[in-house]
Amino acid sequence: MEISSTRSSSVTRESSAESESCTWTDLVELIGSIPTPYYQFEPVATAQKVGYCRDVAGSPGHLFLGETMKTTAAVLWQTNTPWSVEEIELDAPGPGEVLVKIAASGMCHSDEHLFTGDLPFELPIIGGHEGSGVVQEVGEGVSWLAVGDHVVFGFIPSCGRCPSCSTGHQNLCDLGDRLALGKQLSDGTARHHAQGKDLGLMCLLGTFAKHTVVNEASCIKIEKDIPLEKACLLGCGVVTGWGSAVYAAQVSPGDTVVVVGVGGIGSNAIQGARLAGAKRIIAIDPIEFKREKAMEFGATHTATSMAEALPLIADLTWGTMANKVIMTMGVGEGAVIGEALALTAKRGRVVVTNIHPAAEMSASMSLLDLTLMEKQVVGSLFGSGNPRADIPKLIGLYREGQLDLDGLVTKTYPLEGINDGYQDMRDGKNIRGVLIY
Amino acid sequence: MKAKSAVLWGVNQPWIIEDLEIHDPKAHEVIVNWKAAGLCHSDEHLVTGDLVPDKSLWKDMGISDFFPIQGGHEGAGVIVEVGPGVTSVKVGDHVSASFVPSCGRCRYCSTGRQNLCDTGSGTLSGGMITDGTHRHFVRGTPVALLAKLGTFSTHTCVSEDSVIKVEDDLPFEAVALVSCGVATGWGSAVSRAGTLPGDTVVVVGTGGVGMNAVQGAKMAGAKHVIAVDLLEFKREKAMEFGATHTFKSMGDAIPAVLELTHGQMADRVIMTPGVMSGDLMAEAMTLVGKGGTCVVTGMGDIRDDNAKVNLFELSMWNKEIKGSIFGSLNPRADIPRLLGLYREGQLKLDELITKRYKLEEINEGYRAMRSGENIRGILIND
Repeated sequence: MEISSTRSSSVTRESSAESESCTWTDLVELIGSIPTPYYQFEPVATAQKVGYCRDVAGSPGHLFLGETMKTTAAVLWQTNTPWSVEEIELDAPGPGEVLVKIAASGMCHSDEHLFTGDLPFELPIIGGHEGSGVVQEVGEGVSWLAVGDHVVFGFIPSCGRCPSCSTGHQNLCDLGDRLALGKQLSDGTARHHAQGKDLGLMCLLGTFAKHTVVNEASCIKIEKDIPLEKACLLGCGVVTGWGSAVYAAQVSPGDTVVVVGVGGIGSNAIQGARLAGAKRIIAIDPIEFKREKAMEFGATHTATSMAEALPLIADLTWGTMANKVIMTMGVGEGAVIGEALALTAKRGRVVVTNIHPAAEMSASMSLLDLTLMEKQVVGSLFGSGNPRADIPKLIGLYREGQLDLDGLVTKTYPLEGINDGYQDMRDGKNIRGVLIY
Repeated sequence: MKAKSAVLWGVNQPWIIEDLEIHDPKAHEVIVNWKAAGLCHSDEHLVTGDLVPDKSLWKDMGISDFFPIQGGHEGAGVIVEVGPGVTSVKVGDHVSASFVPSCGRCRYCSTGRQNLCDTGSGTLSGGMITDGTHRHFVRGTPVALLAKLGTFSTHTCVSEDSVIKVEDDLPFEAVALVSCGVATGWGSAVSRAGTLPGDTVVVVGTGGVGMNAVQGAKMAGAKHVIAVDLLEFKREKAMEFGATHTFKSMGDAIPAVLELTHGQMADRVIMTPGVMSGDLMAEAMTLVGKGGTCVVTGMGDIRDDNAKVNLFELSMWNKEIKGSIFGSLNPRADIPRLLGLYREGQLKLDELITKRYKLEEINEGYRAMRSGENIRGILIND
């Protein structure tokens, strides 16, 4: 046999001995040095190389872009400055891309992380990653979508072919590594421009705009009778929260579940835990309005803080504590993981769904407790769900009255009201604010 | 383009090598130059008619005639032409065939069950899975492709959903074997049966599929791997692939497994006989212990709807029977994964090949399979 085993071990770690502690940024550098896998899915670039448009008059690989149009978008030019709602130029969709007339967009906390700089994406950028709309134009080679289709955007694209997609973990699609790129998946260029500059897109989407151009890998087709202003929430918050309970925490009938933070994510973690048969759901939030809402979504008890919840849970469970603790705060804090673990039972699981600042490198926890009590801490992205399976699945639950989407929307705003909407979010007034175009 | 292909014109007829006319690939289609193709028992099921749906179903399947059909669904080759919109492969790429296509978008693909991809429903019907029309013609007649692949050919036009890019330094023979029989057997033991370290596993029938169930069970840490096969040559081979015991029949195996397990019987029984039938289930379920699993991987007559199973035992002893296609694996993830194990020397593939044949020698290859001379025969196109 003439083949060698060198390829599979081409990623050699130089000097594991001399590096005392490997930080997150070291890891990113290391990952950057790993060669692209041979199977890497190139959404369109590959197709161009092999004569993509050969049936179309013109040279192979030529982009047949149509007319540029004008639309309105909320652009972030600098961190900690208000979203600027302005006219932008939008190019026609290229190969593999679609032009979508956006109907509605949720105002998720993750976009606030752009605003504060917690998510260090390149600016200027159009925010928004929780949206729905109608396909208005399709580019060359689009095979999954047609004009008039209703779509929800997946904030992580799913190529359907990489190892993660192939094993039921579309939330970890290899194309997700292009998220921070902010430009088109196909060729890395921008279709959105303003004031003579290329604009990036939050999660390759940019749903704080009346129209956008995105790759079809980011679109999930839905049935046309589902209200788009509700469906948009399925693009991020609902599946993230629901899946955090159902998939990541694996709530089982009879479990005691704690949900820490009742916003657009936590309220859906409560709904997921309820549907999965939790005996008790303890919702923790400092804001009274959110605790009241939590009871409507299926919580059985509420507390203002983890410290307050501790004796309550001890009392409720005869000291055995909660089977699952789901962290869905506005901003994660490493310092409170120890408190969450204190609420957790033997063999219990803490699910970290909320976003922690990228620069945070430590979390408080007793590793002795972790070992002796066999506790687990697991991360979860998009509720560990598969956008193409779970968005339609949750629409089905909404249709049957088993998932409350209507109650999630506290207030709607026009695009021009985006800064008011985010102020309301900061003030804790909204479960979810939604922009309606 | 022109090509050569082994075509079956009806049940119980020999394969006939025909001149094939292939039309240009349309959207999302590619032309593959097949370099190696395994002679799998599933193609023999076409010849015997086991795999041929009843004529009354043809209309619902959207076909006027099941024949002529090009055989072959295990294969490895090189992409020689791509149609518009093809994104996952380019000319020159080495590919494995995937007898279940994987679209990557349906509910099953989206949840890690690509072996059940919705596009697989068209596997036995007429034209291309892309648009239902034909690309292949023999003597002016449109011809169907088994599993939409037809790898018993020098070239065929297939959907890009049916091919998986592989590393180009891997031997075509190895890739071809992994594309069906190896993955099916290995996955039956590892994925579907869920073999755990310390288990007692019985594999019934050690041909091109069962031999890999033996390898899989061994790799998953089984304490006993008990291979059952009528033929001495295959029992000897099974020992080389990791079996700890062998028997001529399930009847012979039952008292031995009883003794080996102190009466507890096997944790997993994997059914991979050349021809499966409902009658075999009685002894198979006797081999399964309390809470144990029987995986049915082997294929038999499509019309067989009678299995001999004691349902009282099934419920009282909490046993389970599980069907499995493609070893319940995901072609796009697991074909490369198995080839990685081969590269590291942990999966035997070369040893599976008993004999190589030219396309013209296909009938001789199947004769040898029928008489039990081969673990796997393989067609090689130069």
